[in-house]
Amino acid sequence: MNRAQKISLTMVITFLLGLFLGIILIVMRLFDLGVPKIAFLLPVCIAGSGGIISITCFKKDKGAIAFDERDKLVEKNANLAGFGAVYLYVILMSFLPIVILGGEASIPVTWCPVLLIGAGFCQAFAQSIAYLIQYGWRVKDGGE
Amino acid sequence: MAENNLSNKIRRLRFENGEMTQQQLADKVGVTRQTIIAIEAGKYAPSLPLAFRIARVFGVSVETVFQYKDEDS
Repeated sequence: MNRAQKISLTMVITFLLGLFLGIILIVMRLFDLGVPKIAFLLPVCIAGSGGIISITCFKKDKGAIAFDERDKLVEKNANLAGFGAVYLYVILMSFLPIVILGGEASIPVTWCPVLLIGAGFCQAFAQSIAYLIQYGWRVKDGGE
Repeated sequence: MAENNLSNKIRRLRFENGEMTQQQLADKVGVTRQTIIAIEAGKYAPSLPLAFRIARVFGVSVETVFQYKDEDS
């Protein structure tokens, strides 16, 4: 596994953990189980921890050549996937409130930064998935 | 990135050239070992310059290393 794969895998795992915890908290809140709003910071922190772990734990690959034409192509496609995912996210988030709340409803302005953070997570997740798909999911690479 | 029409003899050529390892070949042509693995497995089609560099390491022509099958042949 190269550095990009390790980072991507970490990002996917932490994002899914954060998403899972977030869903649990939303369900708990829907059933009035006394979940404070501040508790929602925890899944965000867990989801975001992937980036911090990646920066601190995964150093540059050893060897004379750490990045070549194939890595460049994979990176380009992953960036494109991330951009596409954010594009879809923006479209979805533009219409979803109207569909759910109706045309006459209003939403608090505090949702705007939340949506922005969501876009960031969406981009990072799609990019990581694209990296993993292109490099292959398997840890063993069949090399000698 | 899979190039099913493209096959190669890199593995065979490596063994015929003093059992060269993938890492040694990668270092000689200036790519990572993962890329050599992907090329050998037919999962990645190298660029023309890289194909020429690989062929030159073995001292053969590009056509000897890489073979392209047409859809209709």
